[in-house]
Amino acid sequence: MSGFDLELRGLTKHYGSVRALEEFSHRFAAGQVHALIGKNGSGKSTFVKMMSGAVEPTSGEIAVNGAALRFRTPQEALREGIVTVYQELSLVPGLSVAENIFLGRLPRRHGLIDWPQLFDRASTLLADMGAGDIDARMPVDRLSLGRQQLVEIVKASSLDPRILLLDEPSSALAATEVESLFALVRRLRDRGVTVIYISHRLAELPQIADTVTALRDGVFAGSVPMAEATPQVILDMMFGDMPPLDRPNRAPSTGAPVLSARNLVMAPWLADVSFDLAPGEVLGIAGMLGSGRTELLLGLFGARRFDAGRVALLGRDVSDDDLPARKAAGMAYTSEDRKHAGLVLDHSVHANLSLASLRQMARRGFTSIRRERPHVARQIGGLQIKVADPMLPVASLSGGNQQKIVVGNWLNTAPRVLLLDEPGRGVDVQAKRQIYRIIWDEVARGVSSIVVSTELEDLAECCDRVIVLRAGRITAEFTGAALEPKALYAATMTPLPEAEPVTEKA
Amino acid sequence: MSNLLRQHSMLLILIAFYILVAFTGRGFLTLDNQLNILRNVAVPGMIAFGMALVIIVGEIDLSVGSMVAVSACITAWMVDWLSGGAMEASVWVVGAAMLSAISFAAAVGWFNGMLRQKIGVPTFISTLAMMATLAGVANLITGGAPIESFPSWYYVIGSGRLFHVPVPVYLLLLAFVLTWVLTNHTALGREIYAVGGNIEAARLSGINVWRVKTICLMITCVFAAIGGIVYSSLINSGNSTIARGLELEVISAVIIGGVSLFGGKGSIWGAFVGVLFLGVLLNAMTLWGFNPYAQQVVKGALILGAVLVNFVIDRK
Repeated sequence: MSGFDLELRGLTKHYGSVRALEEFSHRFAAGQVHALIGKNGSGKSTFVKMMSGAVEPTSGEIAVNGAALRFRTPQEALREGIVTVYQELSLVPGLSVAENIFLGRLPRRHGLIDWPQLFDRASTLLADMGAGDIDARMPVDRLSLGRQQLVEIVKASSLDPRILLLDEPSSALAATEVESLFALVRRLRDRGVTVIYISHRLAELPQIADTVTALRDGVFAGSVPMAEATPQVILDMMFGDMPPLDRPNRAPSTGAPVLSARNLVMAPWLADVSFDLAPGEVLGIAGMLGSGRTELLLGLFGARRFDAGRVALLGRDVSDDDLPARKAAGMAYTSEDRKHAGLVLDHSVHANLSLASLRQMARRGFTSIRRERPHVARQIGGLQIKVADPMLPVASLSGGNQQKIVVGNWLNTAPRVLLLDEPGRGVDVQAKRQIYRIIWDEVARGVSSIVVSTELEDLAECCDRVIVLRAGRITAEFTGAALEPKALYAATMTPLPEAEPVTEKA
Repeated sequence: MSNLLRQHSMLLILIAFYILVAFTGRGFLTLDNQLNILRNVAVPGMIAFGMALVIIVGEIDLSVGSMVAVSACITAWMVDWLSGGAMEASVWVVGAAMLSAISFAAAVGWFNGMLRQKIGVPTFISTLAMMATLAGVANLITGGAPIESFPSWYYVIGSGRLFHVPVPVYLLLLAFVLTWVLTNHTALGREIYAVGGNIEAARLSGINVWRVKTICLMITCVFAAIGGIVYSSLINSGNSTIARGLELEVISAVIIGGVSLFGGKGSIWGAFVGVLFLGVLLNAMTLWGFNPYAQQVVKGALILGAVLVNFVIDRK
């Protein structure tokens, strides 16, 4: 068969002592679509970064049709015909489709841009790729996200790829958009392009992939033809043998719910979401990228509006309360993005630990560092935050310690309900454990928590109960012995019985 | 740590410069000249404390110069109107006139805050528009001719002295104490820093970020209005041409004082040092016999220099 086969020979990447990818050797056959899967931290993104020239391998080789390639920059990778499309779109919003496709290589005439030729070539290219209904003159930000993704791939195909890497291209798309994406990918494959398709959505793999290859903890974990890839085989490749969970044994919680959500709607993410949070419970919400899990938490906290639905806190309807009112009623929220939405990085640990509780600790609006000091010290001690002097800026601390400060800031408000968005993101394993311990300690004091995460093993470890958020609805619930990572993965990624896409509001 | 260093480095520069001028400027060290420096920076200094709050919270106000002029004109016009132009105006009339100028300023600050919150107009734009608008309003009020309506004792506010110290200097110190306490010992002050440092984190911490921003904008406008009253007293009339370009002096004093243009960092004490530096510099240039046009160039260059230093420090 003509085309380009991609061979990896002991591809390895170490970041200091961290082994992101170790001795990855595999041959991806020419002219096929190869799915590459693995949970978070399996080494997928490291692999993509090396393929795109963003980082250099520590050792090992990348070979196409038997010839080893050397490239150090994204430009050199492109020159070798290796094109990567990232999950975050890299289009320039205000520019037209045509300009985006030919960005950096716009056709010129007498030194000026040759607009007729530009639009001609773009239209031909779009038609050629089966996307002729996209207007080349349209600013890309007027297109839907799915259309933008298609433009991105048309742009990639115009670079004459030999190998095309697609990093979670479907994660934010609706079902119909995924269909046109697949049509485009198949068209490229039929032209001999070898496609590496990285996805979390196991459900769609049979439709698009010819083989499935898995990475686990930075190591190659197996590769099978799609025909043999049952969900069980895939999950076994991804997880191997799981160690038993280290979860505290607690009595199931009873009593009137602390927080209850009824029929929440927020287009385009949430179609109809209802659940209760029992007193002293840690409830996990599992949802993939784009499932609306962050939006759900922001909505509960009053930082975003639901289109419909009611939220009750401690038996009182708070649906019409704003954020400060919900905070006063006992809600607390920590963002998944602590740098941009959780901390004032240049300010001191002291200032950040008293941010949410300033008014509570002040007397008639007057603050006193001396009066705040015990509260700050209590969090630093209780959460074991490693800081020499609370007046140092938080920017100087490690990720784990920063995350504890985000949590400690809210513990100082003495909340009744903690809403935690990805509390374990970007922190090391030990810090993660400590943060879970903090959540359990707070639960023991009567604080109920909702934890949202894409890291399903973490949810299984930290929560009493996990509900799965998919296509805008709660599709599954796990407690007790049934709550284990493989079951969660199966529930979030295998096909839904009745997949009903959430319709986007105009 | 860098904050501390920055504040003190400017203080050291101020002291060094002060010593230099003390040796080279004739009559610099006399008590009268020292008080004169303070009196000259009283109005821009007072406004600079408000401006420091505005810049720390992540906004800017370019209209303070026009606000000074319009407030002087409103005060003079109100005195004229309330007293019917007949007899010497009473204390109550003058008080009511001042209050109306201050209320007008507060309303403008509130309006800028609303524009920012509801429509998202950057204050750089809204206050630039306000700079032109208010200057026009001042001209409309006076019709181009100064309004001379003040009672005979009105000069006290701008030119009077208490224990030999000019009255505006007391106002400067009062504004300093108020804003210093605000930033260092109140919840609102801490919220100002939080909002300027990371608005999203502040919002998600339950802080009413728009209220905080609007209060800062209002404080600055009110200080500018009080500055306008002081100037109207100094020249004993409501004149629409005063304080042209005052915003430049005010903003440069704040920047020289180490307040970060990116928001979230800086101090009232730093702004005070910046104000004093500006005062000593302007005084020294006069004592050294600098050509007034050359003084303008130096002032402009100073702003550029201060901004450069500001950027270099913040990029680190």
